[in-house]
Amino acid sequence: MPKTIPIDPNEVRQATVITSPDIPVNQYVSHPEQEATRYGHDNLLRMYRDMRLIREFESMLDSVKREGAYRGLTYNHRGPAHLSIGQEAAAVGQSYYLAPEDFILGSHRSHGEILAKGFSAIEKLAEDELMSIMTAYRDGAILRVVERFSNKNDVKDLATDYLLYGTLAEIFGRDAGFNRGMGGSMHTFFPPFGIMPNNAIVGGSAGIAVGMALFKRINRRPGIVIANIGDSAIGCGPVWEAMMFAAMDQFHTLWDREIGGHPPILFNFMNNFYGMGGQPQGETLGFGMLARAGLGINPEAMHAERIDGYNPLAVADAIERKRALLLEGRGPALLDVITYRLIGHSTSDASSYRDKHELDLWREQDSLANFIDYLQTHHHVQPDTIDAIDESIVNRIVKILQAAASLETSPRLDSKRDTIGEMMFSNKFKDRMAEGEPQVQLPLNETRLKTTLAKNRFGLANGTPLPKLKTLTYAEALFEAMIYRFYQDPTMIAYGEENRDWGGAFGVYRGLTEALPYHRLFNTPISEAAIVGTAVGYAIAGGRVVVELMYCDFMGRAGDEIFNQMAKWQSMSANVLEMPLVLRVSVGARYGAQHSQDWSSIVAHIPGLKVMFPATPYDAKGMLNLALHGTDPVVFFESQRLYSEPEILVEGGVPTEYYEVEMGEPIVRRAGNDITIVTIGATLYRALEAADILQRDYGVAAEVIDTRFINPLNYEKIVASVQKTGRALLASDATERGSFLHTMASNISQLTFDYLDAPVAVVGARNWITPPVEMEEDFFPQANWIIDTIHERILPLPGHQVTTTQNTSEILRRNQAGI
Amino acid sequence: MATAIVMPKLGNTVESSIIMRWHKAVGDPIEVGDIICEVETDKATLEVESTASGTVLALFFDEGDDVPVMVNIAAVGEPGEPIEHLRPETASPSPTKKQPGLTTTFDNATTTIPVASSADNGGRIAISPRAKNLAMRKGIALDTLSGTGPGGRIIERDVQMALEAAPKMTPLAQSMLRTGEFSPPAQGSGPRGRVMSHDLIPIDADIEAMQLSGRRRIIAQRMLESLQTTAQLTLNATADARALLNYRQRLKDSPEALALRDITINDLILFVVSRTLLDARELNATLTHETLRRHRRVHLGFAVDTPRGLIVPVIRDAHTLSLKQLANEAHRLADACLTDRITPDELNGGTFTVTNLGSFGIESFTPILNPPQVGILGVGNINPKPIEHEGDVIFAPHIGLSLTINHQVVDGAPGARFLQKLASNMANLETLLAF
Repeated sequence: MPKTIPIDPNEVRQATVITSPDIPVNQYVSHPEQEATRYGHDNLLRMYRDMRLIREFESMLDSVKREGAYRGLTYNHRGPAHLSIGQEAAAVGQSYYLAPEDFILGSHRSHGEILAKGFSAIEKLAEDELMSIMTAYRDGAILRVVERFSNKNDVKDLATDYLLYGTLAEIFGRDAGFNRGMGGSMHTFFPPFGIMPNNAIVGGSAGIAVGMALFKRINRRPGIVIANIGDSAIGCGPVWEAMMFAAMDQFHTLWDREIGGHPPILFNFMNNFYGMGGQPQGETLGFGMLARAGLGINPEAMHAERIDGYNPLAVADAIERKRALLLEGRGPALLDVITYRLIGHSTSDASSYRDKHELDLWREQDSLANFIDYLQTHHHVQPDTIDAIDESIVNRIVKILQAAASLETSPRLDSKRDTIGEMMFSNKFKDRMAEGEPQVQLPLNETRLKTTLAKNRFGLANGTPLPKLKTLTYAEALFEAMIYRFYQDPTMIAYGEENRDWGGAFGVYRGLTEALPYHRLFNTPISEAAIVGTAVGYAIAGGRVVVELMYCDFMGRAGDEIFNQMAKWQSMSANVLEMPLVLRVSVGARYGAQHSQDWSSIVAHIPGLKVMFPATPYDAKGMLNLALHGTDPVVFFESQRLYSEPEILVEGGVPTEYYEVEMGEPIVRRAGNDITIVTIGATLYRALEAADILQRDYGVAAEVIDTRFINPLNYEKIVASVQKTGRALLASDATERGSFLHTMASNISQLTFDYLDAPVAVVGARNWITPPVEMEEDFFPQANWIIDTIHERILPLPGHQVTTTQNTSEILRRNQAGI
Repeated sequence: MATAIVMPKLGNTVESSIIMRWHKAVGDPIEVGDIICEVETDKATLEVESTASGTVLALFFDEGDDVPVMVNIAAVGEPGEPIEHLRPETASPSPTKKQPGLTTTFDNATTTIPVASSADNGGRIAISPRAKNLAMRKGIALDTLSGTGPGGRIIERDVQMALEAAPKMTPLAQSMLRTGEFSPPAQGSGPRGRVMSHDLIPIDADIEAMQLSGRRRIIAQRMLESLQTTAQLTLNATADARALLNYRQRLKDSPEALALRDITINDLILFVVSRTLLDARELNATLTHETLRRHRRVHLGFAVDTPRGLIVPVIRDAHTLSLKQLANEAHRLADACLTDRITPDELNGGTFTVTNLGSFGIESFTPILNPPQVGILGVGNINPKPIEHEGDVIFAPHIGLSLTINHQVVDGAPGARFLQKLASNMANLETLLAF
């Protein structure tokens, strides 16, 4: 909603037609003499070698999977292997012109792309650079293994063995794999060579790749980013969201020119004509030719082209052209690279969906055989040279397999210790993710901070509430944390729906628009998958990023990005990557069934996420400060009930200076000896109300504990309290069934069983849709629900008359009815 | 869907009714209009008719329970239908005491605490781990507890209440009890009944532990009360027994037809006591609540040793009975005691008691008062005692007499005078018999 771009009815109502650029299809024409000059004998021969190495590497895997042996070496590989035999030309052609700093991201079928990119990087990097990469990566752990069987005197040769071994050991799940075996076949990657995460979720790389390109653009890093995804991925919503995001007009209309325009992203569809067994062209999709999809994105049609992926030179030519265009900021680009896998989707594939005749036709045009013909026809090579190359390749693959298959040379990581547990978080604190001066538009003391700092920092004076407008609110406390880190960390950016100008739907970012340039705070399309997916890419590329979901209920739209991407890449990379990503999630109320849900329990279930939910302004600032200082992915829940509330619980109010709340530590909000009430989020205030009534009417002193954190969570304080009181009731606004409260209840029961005077009771929202605001008291836990539950299940209260049904038969009834 | 039968409101002012008798049991078929139970209000006894047909699935209260009106008392429906939702949340009000930490007391009329008798859970005792730990730490037997938690579960406060009611224990006694090698006594010997370490009863295979029977428990309680509530003073004396022995011999030698041969020394003593008491009204008295009653009639109790413990039947108006009548009544009562045919009336109303351990060779002892009586005479055995006789020392048989008086109301001197008079009457038995 920038005021600088008016929407003029006279213009938009005019009659006209849309014209679109032509989409080139297989337009590359081979000119052997020009190609000889352009590439030279050695490089052409190297292209063959790379294709042949990939073919042999995957044939070896195929043989191991099918027969348990390769060239007399036996090995049982129990994990997956999705092979790309037949697609080598598309991979090698792609990497030919790529610099080491260019990134590729892939799919479950990316062994070929990984190896090709690695060979290209090895070719381009100087020997000392290669040595320092291999020595530094995981403190030389992989190099030490490779040096035992490789030629130490030839660095390029050593690096080639290193690449092949690191990849294969990873596929075999070994500690010396690139990602300590935690990524495996479908996720292998090696950042120093620009080989970035491969994704087993179809299309999963699209958003992440855009985020990495965004990082390069905003932080002026060299190179482009390629998302290698399959033709079927064009049917995935998040892929479209990623393309739309990359094509946003603001990159050229609103962002500073010197940023350089659009993120340098190429959506490279490796079009092998099958999505597992479904056939996009003619069956499961309707695009005719995939390249047509570019027409739906922007006036440039994403510079889309269909390229013959069976000719490595056609692919190399296309990449060279697209790379130049992307570096100029004219992206995004789309390539529809046709290719064909001559093998099943996986070893369980019986090829029931394609005709053998079709397979034979493609085998006749096998890119390897064709390229040998080409090289021989144009005198780049002699037949015996080819034979010599082939033989040395087989010997190399035997050597690599021998090393990777041996449990002695290549042990698995020791999972008896909690090694994998230690990988789940990076647990670091970094003031800034990169050095540099943060780009801002105002000195800090001239920003809105001036106003917020001058407000009352505590909401009560002698027990009476101060005017809300003159007192720092929860939303303003969040603002103070945001602006602090924006002025510390040059890489930090924030985006989401309505983040700029509006200042976020709930005004948390009010004042940031004036303080920050566009590229540090911007609006996105209503594309939650792209918002979170691109943030994942931005973070693993090395930048700090805060993105926002306007309502918690929209989390489903970013399900894969939160559950499979944001949560997993730190550990799947064996901590090679960090994820300084804070996802602010606003929990609604008053807005009915699709805008009022607390889904904190859903993310609590997913390993790899830190989950926080502050309930007071003090914590809002202190916990967001903590989240923004760390290197781990944080889902940061906020309550719309609280945005306009001042601090009334922490004496002294919200400090003006910087501070952090201790990670995972709950806080006792009210002391008592008779029962412990534990809450998550805004339910705290209902519990405090209940505690007042319990004290006044029944003489029961409740201890109220606000967990603040869901994960990690230190139970010690809660345990000590329950040991003292012998009774515990847990409450939050999340619907009761499957609520994280039940996990807590189970843990508390186990940790304090001998101290308990009653089973731990859980009070959640009803397992209904959220009704209209006027009926919310029937849906969200209220003080009287808490008291009735105590009376019915924990400690009968003398004289108490219940007003709600909280007895144990009601638990049975509700579950029987599924409500 | 099961239907509830509610306690009807049997009159405008009726707030609750007591269930006197269930006419139906769980499992019985029932029709609308069938009598399900009989209830009693403060004004009348009435029958409650069923308002549903089917099978009685549950009766939510026991006979004797006081149930507020409009509360579900039973569930009727098809077998197998769920009834838990019909179970009333409130049962009879709890007779509990003030709870620490709670300002409201359970004595308040509006209390709605459900109480089941220590949460009978199919033989298991429902008790929270916390309450169980506390009970074990404090040595409280779980089956003595009744629960006020949800569903009658024994919760911490129930143990705390039991602890308040129970005698306190020293920390040493508590720790010894936790070893499981001791059991707690009913009463401690420390200040205010505090249980001391030496009060604990070792649990040992060589020791036969037995619960006190009802009668023994009553005796135990009476004895303790006696010692705790009165100021007992025992005076010992001996009486010349030659007259008793001579007269007893003569009775034995009397013609059988007179039926005097069974009269015993004890009967003679009872006779002498009954007559002597007429002139010692300080001792033929009872003390209740600071009121001393001096009796003109003598209802004479005497201790009978039975296998189930000591019993003290009372000879009514003993002072009016002849020796033979008195002996016959004494023998009848003793028989009744031994054959367990004694009635409560025959055990009540004594004004003085005689207890005799002479047959066991006891010379003297300290009888324990049988409150509210203020005197009890213990009779010992007969032993020769040197006496001066016409300037010479001879040995004459003497009988031991031990009189315990309640010194609260009987001074030493009247007691001593009574004993002196008793001894004199024994020595001059024949004179007494003349009256």
